[in-house]
Amino acid sequence: MLKYFTKRLVALVLIITAISIGSFYMIHLLPGDLATVILGSGNTPENKKKLFAQLGLDKGLVHQYLTWMSHVLRGDLGKSYITNESINTSIAKALPIDLEMIVVSQIVAFAAAIPLAMKAAKKPNGLFDRISNGVTFGLLSVPSFIIVVYLVLIIAIKWQVPGTGPASFTRFPEWSWLFSDTGTFFTTLKDNLMSLLIPSLTLSIGSFVVYFRVLRSDLIATLQEEYITMARSKGLSRRRIMWRHAFRPSSVALLGTAGINIGGLIAGGFVVQYLLSIPGLGSLLIASITLQDYLVIQSTVFVVAVAVIVINFAVDFITTLVDPRIARD
Amino acid sequence: MSQEINSTNQNPAGDLLVVENLTTTFQTARGALPAVGGVSFRLGANEILGVVGESGSGKTVLSRTIMGLQPRTNVEVGGSVLLDGHQIVGATDEDLRDIWGTKVAMIFQDPMTSLNPVTKIGKQIGESLQVRLGMNKAEAKARVIELLTLVGIPSPEERYDAYPTQLSGGMRQRVMIAIALACNPTLLLADEPTTGLDVTIQAQILNLLDELQLKMKMSVILVTHDLGVVATRTDRIIVMYAGRIVEMGTTKEVFRNHKMPYTRALLESTPRVSNPSHTRLQTIPGRPPNLLKLTEGCAFAPRCSRATEKCSQERPTLEPTGVDGHYFACWNPLEDQAAPVSIQTGTIKEIGEDNVRG
Amino acid sequence: MTNNEVVINAAESVVEQPEKKAPIGIFTWICVGWLAINVLVAVLAPLLPIPDPNEMISMPGMGMSFDHLMGTDDLGRDIFGRLAWGSRISLGVGIGSMAIAFGVGGPLGMLAAYRRGKMDVIMSSVMFTFLAFPSIIAIIAVLSFWTPRSLGKIIIVIGISSIPLVYRVMRAAALSAGSKEYVTAARVQGARDRRIIFRELLPNVAPTGLSFLLFGVATVIALEGVLAFLGLSIAPDIAPSWGNMINDARQSLNNVPQNWPLIIFPSAILCLFILALNFVGDRLRSYFDVTEVKL
Repeated sequence: MLKYFTKRLVALVLIITAISIGSFYMIHLLPGDLATVILGSGNTPENKKKLFAQLGLDKGLVHQYLTWMSHVLRGDLGKSYITNESINTSIAKALPIDLEMIVVSQIVAFAAAIPLAMKAAKKPNGLFDRISNGVTFGLLSVPSFIIVVYLVLIIAIKWQVPGTGPASFTRFPEWSWLFSDTGTFFTTLKDNLMSLLIPSLTLSIGSFVVYFRVLRSDLIATLQEEYITMARSKGLSRRRIMWRHAFRPSSVALLGTAGINIGGLIAGGFVVQYLLSIPGLGSLLIASITLQDYLVIQSTVFVVAVAVIVINFAVDFITTLVDPRIARD
Repeated sequence: MSQEINSTNQNPAGDLLVVENLTTTFQTARGALPAVGGVSFRLGANEILGVVGESGSGKTVLSRTIMGLQPRTNVEVGGSVLLDGHQIVGATDEDLRDIWGTKVAMIFQDPMTSLNPVTKIGKQIGESLQVRLGMNKAEAKARVIELLTLVGIPSPEERYDAYPTQLSGGMRQRVMIAIALACNPTLLLADEPTTGLDVTIQAQILNLLDELQLKMKMSVILVTHDLGVVATRTDRIIVMYAGRIVEMGTTKEVFRNHKMPYTRALLESTPRVSNPSHTRLQTIPGRPPNLLKLTEGCAFAPRCSRATEKCSQERPTLEPTGVDGHYFACWNPLEDQAAPVSIQTGTIKEIGEDNVRG
Repeated sequence: MTNNEVVINAAESVVEQPEKKAPIGIFTWICVGWLAINVLVAVLAPLLPIPDPNEMISMPGMGMSFDHLMGTDDLGRDIFGRLAWGSRISLGVGIGSMAIAFGVGGPLGMLAAYRRGKMDVIMSSVMFTFLAFPSIIAIIAVLSFWTPRSLGKIIIVIGISSIPLVYRVMRAAALSAGSKEYVTAARVQGARDRRIIFRELLPNVAPTGLSFLLFGVATVIALEGVLAFLGLSIAPDIAPSWGNMINDARQSLNNVPQNWPLIIFPSAILCLFILALNFVGDRLRSYFDVTEVKL
C-alpha cells in the first residue's frame, strides 16, 4: 500500500511539473503581442525593450520559467501585467465560489443518484428502472449550457423566483456573508443559497445523470454476484445487503467516475459562471483571456490543472481505502 | 436412517427436512426451464446426504431451492419443503431471514466469488453474529477468532483483518465454512465445496466438514459431481439427472447394487488410484440433455446403452428395490452386482465397501 | 459452447444471464434515420429549397406557419433555414475535428499498443500528461488569441486537443485485441507489422473506434455550442450554427420572452442529434460486445 502511494506520489509530482511547463509554454506559443496589449499605441521598440526588461521577459524562456516556478513554489503567483493586482488575491476571491458551487452540486448529485440507482437496480428492467434509464439517457444528451439557459428562462424569468436571477450573483460570491452585518446569518445564507440555485442545479443535473447511470449498472452487476446470495443466506435484511454488500464494492466505480467528472465539472462550471456572470475562477480566466492578461492566464490555468490532478489523486486514495484490491495490482 | 417415501404431509419425528415433489422452473427467454422437476426425499437429524450429478443436473438449483435462496425473479417453485416445521416454498426472504444462518446455512461453490472482496473476513464472519445473534463488537470478534480456530486457520488474530484476496483458495473455503457455521445451523448445505480446490486441499476441507458435522451435530447435504467425494463421507446418496432423482439409497447400496445405468456411468468416469496406469477413463457419451426440450421419456435414454423404445416414450418412476430404502428410476435396471466391463470388483471394494459409512 | 449448455449453465449457477446481443431495435433505426436526414440536409443545403439563412425574409418574431415552418427570429430570418444551414457548421466542426483526432490519435494509439516497449512508454506519458490538462481551457485560450476565427481554425484546435483522448481509447482497444491469439498467430507466421495492424488489429478495434467516434462527434457538437456561448465560434451574422442560434435566442429571449420557437427548435434539434449519436454509439458498443472503455 505504502509502495503504491509512493509511486503515485512521484507520478503526481512529475505530472504537475509537466503541467507547469505546459501552462508556461502554452502562453508563449499563443499568437498575440504582449507589448501591444500593455503599451497600446506606445508600443515602440524602445518602450518594448524597457518593458520586457522590467518584467524579466528579456531573459531566456528557461530562465523565465524557473523564475516563475520559484515564485510559485513560494506561494506567489505574481501580479497581473495589466491591472497590477496580485493574482493570489484574485484567485483567493474567486476560488471559494467554485468550491461552493462544486461541493453543493456534488452533494445534491450524490444524494439523488445513490437512492434512485438503488431503487432502479432492485428490479432491473422493472418499470422504474426503464423510466429512469430512459430519462437519464435523454438528459445525458442535453449539454449543460442548454440546461442552464432553460433553468434561467424557467426559474428566474418565467417563475420570477426571487434571488435566483443573474442580478443576484453579486451577493453570491463573498464568503463575507458569514460575517455580514447586513441582515442576520440566515437571511444572508438564504441569499447565498438562492443565488446558488441555478448554477448548482445545472452542475448537479449533469453529474447526477452520470452517477446514476454508472451506479445503476454497477449495482445490477454486483447484485448478481455470488457474495450477494451469500449475504442473503446469512439472513441479512435487504437494506443491509444493499448498503453493506452491494453499494460498497459498487462505489468504487462511482468514485472513479466522480474523479473523472471533476475536470469536466470545473470546466462546465466555467461556462455556467460566464453565462451567469458569476465571478468565479471561470470568469476570471475568461476575462483574462479576453484582456490577454498573460500571467493571470498562465497562473490560473496552472492552479486549475493542479487542482484537477490533486483531486484525482485524492479520489484514487479514497478508492483504495474502499477497495483494497486496487493497491495490490 | 432409511425412510419410505411418504406422500402425506406429516412429519415423522426425527426428520429434519421433508422435500415433497419440489419443482423449480426458470422463465428464460427461450421458454420455461425445469431445473428441478419433482424431487422428493427426507433427511434425518445428524444425517449426511450426498447429492450427485453432472453439471446441469439441477443439484445446485435443488440445494438453493431447499433453502429458499433461488433468485427473486423469473423463477417458479412448486411442491413443498418442510425444514424443521418451516415451509420454505412460497416464503419470502423476510420470512426466511429468521431461519437462514441459524437453522440452515450454505457453503458456496466458489469461495473466490462468494466472499465479498472489499470486506475483511473477520467482519464477514462476525456480521451474522452481530446482526442475527445480537452480539456486541467485542463478543463477536472473540467468537470469530474461535470460529477461525475451529476451521483450522492459523494465527486467526492476524487473519481477522485479512481481505479475501489475501488468502489462498483453501483458506477462503475455510472462511466460508466459518461463516456458515457462525450461527450453529442444524442443516448445512455444501454446494460443491471443494470443486475449485487442489486435490490435497479438497481432502482437508472434506475431513474438516466431517469433523465439524460430528462436533456440531448437524445434518449435511453435500452436493457434488464427484462420486469419490461422497463415497466415504455420506450416509445416503441421491443421484440426479436432468432435474430428477434417478437413484437414491444408502451409500453402500448405491455403490454396490446400483440399478441405474447412469449411476454406473458416473462411477466409471471417476478416476481411481488402483487402476493400472494408462487405464482409459470412461466418459459418458453424448451431452447432458437440454432441459428446455425434455421429452416424455427417460431423459438419460439418448445416452444410455441399455435404452429400449419404452425408455424414450415413458418416463420411469422411482421404484423401491426393497433393500434399505434404495430407489431407482429405470425400465432396464442393471441386474448384476459385479461390474461387467471396466469396473473391477477390487476397485469397487476400495471406495465402495470398507470405507463406506453406515 | 452450444446454446443449450449456456442455458443449462445459466440455470445451474442460478444467475440470470442477460440477453447478449440485444436486437438492434426500431429505435436504433429511427436514430440512424434521423442522423442520415441531418447529414443529407447539411450536405445538400445549397441545393434544397431552404430559405436563405441570412436574409431578413419576413417580420421578426413570427410564429410557425406554412411559409416559415419554425417561425422567424428577432431579425426576421427563417429559423428553419438557419437550422438547416447551421447543421453545416455544427456537423462540420464535429466530423472535421474528429477526423483529425482519429486520423492522428488512432494510428498512434494502435502503434503504441502493438509495439509496446519504449515507444509506448514515451508516447503514452506525453499523451497522458496532456490528458491531465483540462482541454477546454486550452481550446478557449487558443481560439481567443487566434483571430480572425474560421471554421477551419475551430476544427483544427478541437481536433488537435482531442488527439490524446482518442489515443488513449484506441490504445486500450488495441491492447485488448492485440493480446488475442490470432494476432500472435499472425505474428508467428511472419506477417509484417503493417499488415498485422491493418488486417488483424484494425477490424477488431473498429467497433470500439466507431462507437467512440459517434460519442466524440456528439461531444464536439456540444462543445461548439459552448464556444458559441463564449463568442469563440463562428459569429452568427456570418453563418448560423446550432450553438450560436441558441446563444442568440437566449439573449433575445430576455427582451422578447414570448418567442419560444426561437430557442426550442435549435436546442431540440441539437439535443436530438446528440441523443441519436449517443444511442447509436451505445447500441454499437453493446452489439459488438465491447467492454466499456472508460471515456
